[in-house]
Parts: sequence; structure tokens; C-alpha cells
Amino acid sequence: MAVGSFFGSFDWSAFLNALILGVSIASIWLIAALGLTIIYGTAGVINMAHGEFIMLGAYSSYMLQNYVGLPFFLCVPAAFVIVALVGLILERGLIRYLYKRPLDTLLATFGVSLVLMQGVRLIFGSDPKYLAVPPIFTSNFQLGFVNISAFRVIVLGITIALVVALWALFYRTRFGVQVRAVMQDKEMAASFGINSDRVYMLTFAIGAGLAGIAGSLFGVLNIVLPTMGTGYVVQAFLVVVVGGGTLAGSVIAGGATGELQSVFAYFTNDTFARFMLYVLIVVFLRIRPQGLFAPSAKRR
Amino acid sequence: MRTSRRSFLKTAALGAGAAIAAPYGFVRTIDQAWGAQSWIKKGEPIKIGLLFSLSGGLAVPEEDSTLVMQYAIDEINKAGGVAGMPLEPVIVDAKSDFKVYSEKTKELILRNKVVSIFGCYTSASRKAILPTVMAQDHLLYYPTCYEGAECTQNTICTGPLANQHSKDLIPYMVQQFGKKVFFVGSNYVWPKESNKNAKIWLEKAGGELLGEEYIPLGGSEFGPVLNKIRDAKPNFIFSTVVGASDIAFHKQFKQEGFKVDSMPIASLTTGEIETRAMGNEFGAGHFLSAPYFQALDTPTNHKFVEGFLKSKYGKNGTTHYNMEETYLSAYVFKYGLEKAIKAVGIDGITPRVIRDHSAGIRVEDDVSPEGLIWIDDQNFNCWLKPKIGQCQADGSFKIVKAADTQVAPDPYSIYPDIGKCTADGLKGPDGKLRKSVI
Amino acid sequence: MNIYHNVKAQWLAYAAFFAVLALVPVLVSDSFLLNQFATYGVFGLLALSISLCWGFGGILNLGQGIPFGLGAYGMAMTMQMQSQDASNPLPPFMLNNSLDHLPMFWEPFRNTTLGIVLSLIVPTLFCAIFGGLMFRARVSGPFFAIMTLAMLSAWYTLILDVQPYTNGANGITPPSPLKLGEIVVDPYSPAAYWTVLVLLLVATVTAKLMTLSRFGLVVQAVRGDAERVRFLGYNVAGYETLVYTISGFIAAVAGCCWVMLTQYVSPAQFDTTFSLSMVIWAGIGGRLSLLGAIVGAFLIQGAQSYLGDTFLNTWLLVLGGFFILVVRFLPKGLAGLVESALGKLSSRRGRDDGNGVAASRLVPQPGE
Repeated sequence: MAVGSFFGSFDWSAFLNALILGVSIASIWLIAALGLTIIYGTAGVINMAHGEFIMLGAYSSYMLQNYVGLPFFLCVPAAFVIVALVGLILERGLIRYLYKRPLDTLLATFGVSLVLMQGVRLIFGSDPKYLAVPPIFTSNFQLGFVNISAFRVIVLGITIALVVALWALFYRTRFGVQVRAVMQDKEMAASFGINSDRVYMLTFAIGAGLAGIAGSLFGVLNIVLPTMGTGYVVQAFLVVVVGGGTLAGSVIAGGATGELQSVFAYFTNDTFARFMLYVLIVVFLRIRPQGLFAPSAKRR
Repeated sequence: MRTSRRSFLKTAALGAGAAIAAPYGFVRTIDQAWGAQSWIKKGEPIKIGLLFSLSGGLAVPEEDSTLVMQYAIDEINKAGGVAGMPLEPVIVDAKSDFKVYSEKTKELILRNKVVSIFGCYTSASRKAILPTVMAQDHLLYYPTCYEGAECTQNTICTGPLANQHSKDLIPYMVQQFGKKVFFVGSNYVWPKESNKNAKIWLEKAGGELLGEEYIPLGGSEFGPVLNKIRDAKPNFIFSTVVGASDIAFHKQFKQEGFKVDSMPIASLTTGEIETRAMGNEFGAGHFLSAPYFQALDTPTNHKFVEGFLKSKYGKNGTTHYNMEETYLSAYVFKYGLEKAIKAVGIDGITPRVIRDHSAGIRVEDDVSPEGLIWIDDQNFNCWLKPKIGQCQADGSFKIVKAADTQVAPDPYSIYPDIGKCTADGLKGPDGKLRKSVI
Repeated sequence: MNIYHNVKAQWLAYAAFFAVLALVPVLVSDSFLLNQFATYGVFGLLALSISLCWGFGGILNLGQGIPFGLGAYGMAMTMQMQSQDASNPLPPFMLNNSLDHLPMFWEPFRNTTLGIVLSLIVPTLFCAIFGGLMFRARVSGPFFAIMTLAMLSAWYTLILDVQPYTNGANGITPPSPLKLGEIVVDPYSPAAYWTVLVLLLVATVTAKLMTLSRFGLVVQAVRGDAERVRFLGYNVAGYETLVYTISGFIAAVAGCCWVMLTQYVSPAQFDTTFSLSMVIWAGIGGRLSLLGAIVGAFLIQGAQSYLGDTFLNTWLLVLGGFFILVVRFLPKGLAGLVESALGKLSSRRGRDDGNGVAASRLVPQPGE
């Protein structure tokens, strides 16, 4: 009896809305994970401070908006530049000494995340801040029974643009060739005159900058707090791990996990959906420990 | 290997030797450890502990609590203190970490020998320190709203219980906006208990519950929940979402195209600070039920707001219900202690004696910013008047309804089978008395 | 030779450390301090377990809160059931969550012995299964670290969600101290302190003997190069799982002790910051040295208790900065500092004693 009544009461329009929302959730998780993906994929660094880079992106937008009066759509690229600079300084000052010790980069960046979080708290206080956006962003689209907010569409659009830009950067530019050469074999690349040090430095800065963009968007969607990054970082890690550290892997992993979260949440509730997702990922990794698309290079 | 095993024996022997050297260690009893002491000495300052988080995520509400307590203590001391003795706060930082709450409670009681502790904001932190407070028969002033269903002989609460909080809000919303409602809450104990109470009021008001959803604590993705609400089409939303999630909820509510005029959120938590953090345009039009609003138009409240904001503690620029409840707790303590000193003298004062003499303590209109409140003589929660405010475009609240009389607190209102909380313990239906029920 | 690598000297250092700890209840009559030191002892157990797993086995584990928390929940359930009786069979929070009978998995905790045994076995089993799955799939290094983190989050959300059985975010608060038969373990008594100290001593000595054994040598070889050890015919996954499981067992013991001392457990024990702070203790103290890790836990927690209020908002800044410096310049932690200091000392002396170096090479270098 169950099957018939189940499909009888099944609400297709609601389910379709859940699927569309899944795309949006996926884009949020993916944009949070992009920077992490290229940093891990290129240099093998697990950056625990990634969540705090996101937070810095939100705070730099907040700062520019409130003290400089920059309009929001200019804050987003500005956040990229500011956080990329922070990433650059961090790479030069700390990370580059640790490339041979991957576990230690994980720990050192955790120390960095503590310092950044508390530093921001000292400067801005621990009370929440907010980012103002033009009213057009706070409306929603309605097409028949499909509903989606304008800002979610913008996040999705920016995510797609960034993925395309990264793909072009890695596969259509000279710098991209160098990055891929260093990823595959650092020594061999060096013998062809590629400065791997420079490649690592730039990818780290770009990765940090991407987190900055994510942060300035999340500040609108959510709330600007010193601890805001921690909420996204575990999801971002899982996207990278499931994807195997490649761009294509992260896109697919982000899409799959986001959709699953939305669909589970539609059938049960949010908390249980998250638990199911974590368990599924552990099972998945048992079957494919190297992730969806492991880089062709040697495993680190 | 051989050397190491021999050294191992040596180590063990050393340890055992040390153990024998301290045989009294096993026989010392609790009484010897912190035996009889006089908690207050004539002419010396009265020490009280302020156990709030000054750093970490919980600092947002709790730092304000510490500030307003200091303000209240200054005010009391200026007026001559308690029985001629000034109050001296021992301020500690609980670092938003429940382990630290537990450790600091022990430090305040056993080392600093404070006569009462004022502290905690979340229920989880209260639960973390209650075993210690109860084991020492000490006294905790818990100055915020909570779910009830607790009957200890060691706490006094000055915030609203779940049975008081939504009593007027639900009928008011049903009357103004319609019968159909959707419940959204953070996934923990207080929202679930509050919703159980709200369901009772809803049934009485003839309303209809369309759905009930819970979001992980601190979660910020409200898409799935808002989709379910869109399908259900309620007349209003009843929200017990707390903290950062609450702000995300209000923002996404507007971003997803919901209109505040046709489907407002009636909340138990979205007060002055939350509205300021989310931006006024996201808060405007929604409703809040609380015993206190900064906008309350009474002489006492004007005095409190102006005095506090001008003082050196008013740096955060607002007063809200949680702060006012904390402020009241200082006066409840003062009156209770005065009454106890009159009854048993200074040398007879213990934390428990203060608690027992706090039954029925009243804080009158000229002191209490929210208006007259008094402590229930059985369960030691507060009789108070919940009020309903609507958020305005400038972020302030307009009071649209206030209860006619004070509402009685009842921590077991929805569990009559469990019993009734009395001054000496939880009285079960079989007449048995159980102490320290948490 | 460097006296740091002398096994006899190492045992002496251990003996001295525990002798000092044993003196605490003799010198201190402040029950608060005793309880505080007992809590530090619990953190010492955790640091020890991290040192064993990460320093010695090379498995970075960011989810040590799982066995700790599971052990703690088991103990809390046991203690909670001690205060229920026939007339009042259900913990109060269950009544508030409209349960009318005790859930199945609570039943065994009516019996104190069975409850404590379960509190230790369940987390250990979990580690064995999870570790076994992961290591046999050859998940290792940073990947394993991230997976432990994900598993930690999964447990956190699950325990929050099943509120009728765990009381959700409020956690379980047994109203009275642990009773073992007729004895009441008052958390402020020297007896509680001794219990923790003896457990810490036993765990440390066992772990140390393990590092010195043949098993220990293989595990250290796996840390060095798992691939080569595999070629030599060893079951690498088996060794990794075993080390991870033993470390999990120690964390479960710590969890039980912790609830005995604080009478409280909540999902916050599954919080990522707590698990990461265990790694910080071991990292700063010196992950390669069991004793170093324990001392690290004592130092950091002591500093937080006594300097935290002075530093207030800058405390986390100081801790984070210190940790970065240690990782960058002292990968072996403070114990590494001691090692190189002693090394300098002995190399100055060692010039006229040429054959000492050769002899020291024959002894396995523990914790190297």
C-alpha cells in the first residue's frame, strides 16, 4: 500500500523546488571550496585557515562599505584583492617553509585561523555586523511554481564564472601549464626552468582571494561574525576530499553533496540530512579513497 | 628491555610510596575540605561571582550581562550597599566553553568563596554548572528566559519561563493575522519546549499548526525550511531560532521574497541587538514577545536606559530584555539578602539561607524597569508581564500589547504528571518529594 | 651520547614527573586545586593518546573527541541511572521529551559495572571499525585527518538531533557523584585525584613499553614509510588500526574520568575546537615524546586557567601565535627543545668519550 500512497501524496512541484535549491546550496558549498581546491590540488596544503579567509572577505567588504562607502558590487573584487594579499603574506612568511611537511601545514594554518579569528574579534568586536546590498538583490524570482531568490541566482552566476575563469587559467594560459607541470612533478618542472616557488605563491594567493569573494557573498546571505568561517569550512573540506583535489572533482562533488543535502532535508530535516551526508561520504571514501578525480600526479 | 622493566618497577614503587605517604588523603571528608565558614563578615565587602563569557561566541549577549551587573552593583553600593556592606563582584571569563564554566564555578565557590553566582545565558552552560552548585548547596541567579522543567533548591530565575513567554503572543497573532501558523526553531531543548507550550496556546486560540521545523544550532541555510513554509502558506511564523541563525533566518526570509505584511515572524528572541545586527530593513514589521523593551515608556525605564547608557558600562549603546532581567537579579539578591540578615543575622547567612528567604521578594515599579515582578515562593521563578512589541523601521520596538496582570511561572506546566515544583523539591503525584531535579 | 635518548634516563624522568604529581595531594589541601589538577590529568590522558597516535604512529587524528565523548556519554548515562530507582525509573529529561519507558540502549547502564565496561568498549569498537575501514582503503595523512573531522561533525549533529535519548544540546547532568558499590567518589576528594593519577600512570607506562617493543618498531617504520613496510610483508592497515584503537581506548578512559570529575557531558565534547586543542597540547609539548605531550596539556590548560583571565581577549591570539611558532621552528615541541639542549650538553662532554655514540645507536630510539 505504501508505494501507491507515497507517490499519490508526493508533491512534484515541491520536490522540484528542493532540487533547484540543491543547485543553489551546491553553488554555495562549491564557491567556499574553490580556493581550498586549488591550494590543495597544487601545493598539497590543507589550509585550516580557509574559513577565516572567508571571514576576512566578509569583514573587508564590511569595512569598505562602512568606512569607504564603496558600493557592494565593487566590494566583491576588492575583497578578492585584500584577502589574496593576506594569503600572499601568509605564504611567504610561513607556509613556504612547510611544504615538505603536509601535516604541519595543517597545524600551522590552524594556528593562523585562531590568530585571525581573535585578531578580527579584537578589532571589530564580537557583535555581528551586516552588509547592505541594493534592494534588487533582496527580491526573488517566481516562474510558475518555481521560486528562487535573486541573490542565490547571483551566487550561482558568480560561482559558474569563477569555475570557468579557473578552468581557463589552468588550461588556456602559460601560467596554467606551469601550475600543472609543478603539480605532476616538481623536480622535473624545475629542470625545465619553471619557478615552482613562484607558482605555489601565486596559487596560494589566488586561493585565498577566492575565499575572500565567497566571504563577501556569504556576508549578505548570512551574517558577519568572527566565527562565520567555521560553519563553511568542514563542508568545503568534504567537497575537496570527495572531489579528489581537482577542479572538475570539486564541481561534481559540490553538486552532488549540495543536491543530496537539499533532498535529504526535503524528506527529513536539516540536522538529520547533514548526518546522513557525512556518513555517506565516509562510505564513499571507503570505496574510492582517492576521491572522484584524483590528479594524475603521484599521491601526496 | 630489561632495564626498562626494572625502571618500571621503580616507578611503580615510587608511586606507591607517595601514596602511602599521604594516607590521610583518602580519609579526609567533604566537611573538612570546605567546612563551616561564615560567608559574610560584618563590615567587609560581600563577594558575588559574575560568571559570563567575555570572549568567544557567547560574548555577544553575555558581555552585556556583565556590564549591566556592574552597573547595578555600583548603583546598589552608591545607595549604601546591603546592610551597610558594599557588594564586590568577582568577574571571571567563561570563554564560551562549557568546560570553563564548570571550572570557574568551582573556583568561585571554593576559592573565592562568593556568596552567590550570577551567570550563564544558554541552558547548556547552566546544566554544566548546576551539579557543582547543587553539590555545594550554593546559589545561582540565572537571569534569562529558559524552558523550565527543572526543580532545584539552588537557583533563582528572573527571566520568563516557556509557559509565560508565548501566552499572549500566540492568541494575539492568531487574532491579527489568521489561524494558520508554522513553527521554526533551533534544534535544541528550549525551542522544543517553547513550541510545546505554544501548541497549547494555539489550540486554545483555535489556531492550526501547519508544520514544525528545526535548524541545526548555528546553521545558516534556511532554503529548505523556507521552501516548506512557502508550500504550507501559513498566516504567520512562530520562531524560536536563536543567535546567528536567527539573523540568517530573517535575512533569507526577505531575500526569498516573503512579505512581512502578509506573513510576519513572531519571535521569542529577535530583540534590539539582533535587529541591529541584521539591518533594520530585515527586522522591521516582525513581532517579539518579551517582558522588557528599551522603548517601554515608564519613568523607571527612562531612568534605567539613560543612566546605563551614560555610565561607563553603556558602551554597546542599547538595553534589551536579557540585560534588564540581569539587572533585576541584582535587586532580587539585595532584597533577599536583607531579609535573610534580618531573620538570621549576618553570621547565619549561607547561600541556601538567602535563597530560602527570597520567596516572594518583590521588585517594585520604581526599581524594576519592566514594572513590578516578584519571585514565586514555591519554584523561585518570576511573576512577570510579558509584552508584545513590533519592530519599527528604525529598529526600535513599538509595544502593541501588554498582559493585564503578572503571569505565574510554572516550570512543569505541560508535565502535570511529573509533579509540582515546591520550595523543598519536586512533589510527585504520589506525594513523594524529590530534591535537585534537573 | 645525548642523555635524552637514554631509556633509563627517560624512565627516571617519568618517575620524577609522577612523583611530583603524587606529591600534590600531600602539599595541597585546597579541594578546588585538587579537582583542577585531576582535570588536568584527564587532559594529560588525552594528550598522551594523541601523542601515541600522531607522534608515534604518524596518524594525525583531529577527531579524538569521538572516543572521549562516547566514553563520557556512557559514564554520564551510568551515573544518571544510579540516581533513578523503581519509583522513578526515567531520567527527568526523558519525561520532558515524552518517553514513557527507558530506551533499549539505556537498559545496560542500570548496572554500574556493565555501564562502565560499555563506556570503554563502545568507543574502542568504533575506533577499530572506523580505523579499519579507513586504513584498509589506504586513506592516510591529511585525508584521514579530514575524515576524522567529518566523523566528529557527524557525531555532534547526531547527538544533538536525538534529543529524547541524549537531551540534545543541554547534555546529561547526573545529579549526584559516582557510586562504586558503597564508595561515593566525591569529585573534590583526593580519592578522585588518585584514581585519575593512577590511570594516567598506567596508561603512560603501558604506552612507553609499547613504543619500546617490537610492535612499536614496526609502527614507527610505518610512520616513516608505509609503502616499504608493506613490501616487507607487514599488514600495515592492521598496525595502523591497532594504534588508532589503543589511542581511542585511552581517550575513552579519559572521557569516563572527566564525567566522574565534572558530573556533566554535552555535545560540546564533540566540538572540533576541543579535539583540535588536544592536538595543540601534544604539538606544543612535543608529540614525539609521551611525557612531553602530557606536560604540554598541563602547561596549556594551566596557562589558560591562570593567565586566561589576565590576557582575556588576547589569550587565543597568544595561544595561536605560540602554536604557529612551535610548528614552524620546533616541530618536536618543547620536548625537542630539551632534546637539543641535552644534545649540546652531551656533545661537549662526548668529545673524550668516542664510543658512546656507537653504543647509543644500537638501542631503538624511542619516540624518535
